[in-house]
Amino acid sequence: MNALAAPSLRNLPYFGPMLTASVLFFLAPLVVLAVYSFSSPEGASLANYARFANDEFSVSVLIDTIRLGGSVVLGTTLLGLPIALLYWHAGPRIRQWLIFLILLPMLVSNVVRTFAWIVILGRQGLISSTLLYTGLSSTPTNLMYTEFGLILALCQIELPLLLLPIIAVLSRANRSLVDAARMLGAGSWRVLLTVLVPVMLPGLLAGWILVFASACTSYVTQAVIGGARLIYLPQFIYREVGVLFSWPYAAAVAFVLLVSTGVVMLSISALSRHRRLVGHA
Amino acid sequence: MNHFNSNRRQFNLALAALAGSALLPGTARAASSVVAAVFPGSWEDAYRRTLVPMLAKSGVELIIAPMLAQDQLAKAIAAGGKPAYDALLLSPGQTAEAVDRGLIEKIDTSKLANWNKLDDKLKSPWGPTVTVEVNGIAYNPELVPRPKGYKDLFTNPAYDGKVAWLGFGSNSATMAWVEIARLYGGGEDNMQPVFDLLRKHLPKIGAIANSGNAQMALFQQREIGVFMASTNNVSRLKTMGVPCEFVHPESGSPAVPVNIHLTKGAANPAAVYAYMDAAISAAAQNQLKMPPVEQIPTNRDVAFTPSLEAFVTREQMAKFIYQDWVKINKNRAAWTAEFDRIVKK
Repeated sequence: MNALAAPSLRNLPYFGPMLTASVLFFLAPLVVLAVYSFSSPEGASLANYARFANDEFSVSVLIDTIRLGGSVVLGTTLLGLPIALLYWHAGPRIRQWLIFLILLPMLVSNVVRTFAWIVILGRQGLISSTLLYTGLSSTPTNLMYTEFGLILALCQIELPLLLLPIIAVLSRANRSLVDAARMLGAGSWRVLLTVLVPVMLPGLLAGWILVFASACTSYVTQAVIGGARLIYLPQFIYREVGVLFSWPYAAAVAFVLLVSTGVVMLSISALSRHRRLVGHA
Repeated sequence: MNHFNSNRRQFNLALAALAGSALLPGTARAASSVVAAVFPGSWEDAYRRTLVPMLAKSGVELIIAPMLAQDQLAKAIAAGGKPAYDALLLSPGQTAEAVDRGLIEKIDTSKLANWNKLDDKLKSPWGPTVTVEVNGIAYNPELVPRPKGYKDLFTNPAYDGKVAWLGFGSNSATMAWVEIARLYGGGEDNMQPVFDLLRKHLPKIGAIANSGNAQMALFQQREIGVFMASTNNVSRLKTMGVPCEFVHPESGSPAVPVNIHLTKGAANPAAVYAYMDAAISAAAQNQLKMPPVEQIPTNRDVAFTPSLEAFVTREQMAKFIYQDWVKINKNRAAWTAEFDRIVKK
């Protein structure tokens, strides 16, 4: 048994700094936020949470935020799975190139990547010009400030977060499983569905958690590509904090976001413990 | 191992000393220093270039902390009576909030040698006005005709799909909406005409952006042809080679004085007064009126440059509209909520 596996006072020098940092910089601010969220002119109460829950508009913003996260998870999965399969079938040199290409966008700031999407999605942008040039559209198409444009941009921005865990799992996967399936007469689709997908699933679930959390909280991309007519919780919170200075309400909304995304992420995480689903049955 | 322990002890001591110095900024700073929050970007550069050396000559160390107005205010509120900044730089929207929350002090004007060089409208008891930002309409002459005023943007079909707007989170947008409300029978107390107009006109609006910067990015990409802007925004776009012109709306140009404030509990008020006085001095404003910042001078001894006069003259300054931000702040939350409900897809 590894000596570091179970925390004990003997191991304090090892996990102490991490524990201190977590308590000081994560847990303590979270407690302050929680205290703020319960404060109201009448004293400690659930008034801020009640205000959020009773406001149809605020609830619709929460639903839109969760829906955005779900759409981006779906989009990145559809884009990412073929790339993951390409990685599985490729030789070592192409694999190296693939990893480099997947990591490449992460070397550029998220803000820069987001602003680059203005050039692509706008009325004068690449997509609109291509549609006009090919005759597929007779009028300029504006994808800026549309939900489709936002999901498209977020899918590209979040794609590495989905691919990296899948690739990590595939790198350690036993290739003879595929050979065994083929020898037993399985076709390509059957190999994909009964061997490769279960092998990839732990990485896929980890990727879904990362993509969902990142897409739901991606303030810059939501604000720049989505504009003011697509309202999601991060913008909602920022405005309550920075413009209206309604901090207790902002703290309550931040907790609502934390709990809502947390529930979805825990549900995905629970799937990863499902023995049949991840191929241990 | 002993060697390692000794090094580790030294490292821990150094770390503790570093943490200690960070926790005690007041004692570490020179006696005549002032920590001033200043808008980031061109403001910060200009103040570093102009005011830092000017104050250093008189023995005052000016430490610039670049920060947007709402962030200054948020940090001042969070500091809870122990301000990290001795001086704030705010426009009226935030000033009214700072006064309301008791974050700034009224100043003793006798301590400012240049106080009487300011026009009466620019003498706030809460701090001197260092410049005035004038707001109006920016348009791309290659895309749209020159607008006459705000009404034109709603009534002339040439602007359909070409105008970008912002919500009430932006000071510039709020000023424009108040002026539009006035044109349609409302004002600082009544925004209903604007909401009715928005509901009717929504399908014809080019874009509703989230920030002034996002709006300028759209303007540069020619996605929009008109937005509500300050002369500084237009000057910046012109410097970048973007076709952009400024129009004073026929109903008048709303203006925002930008003021330096003395934070309540400031470590060294005397140094803050020296900083305020330097910022409104002719020597400083003669430098600050030059490109790329081109701040409109508030000191009467400072002449306007021809490039500034292309936007505004000293005579026009007397006709600027200064809105009632106490009333605006009182209504802002409700307006923001209503605006969001109308525009949300």
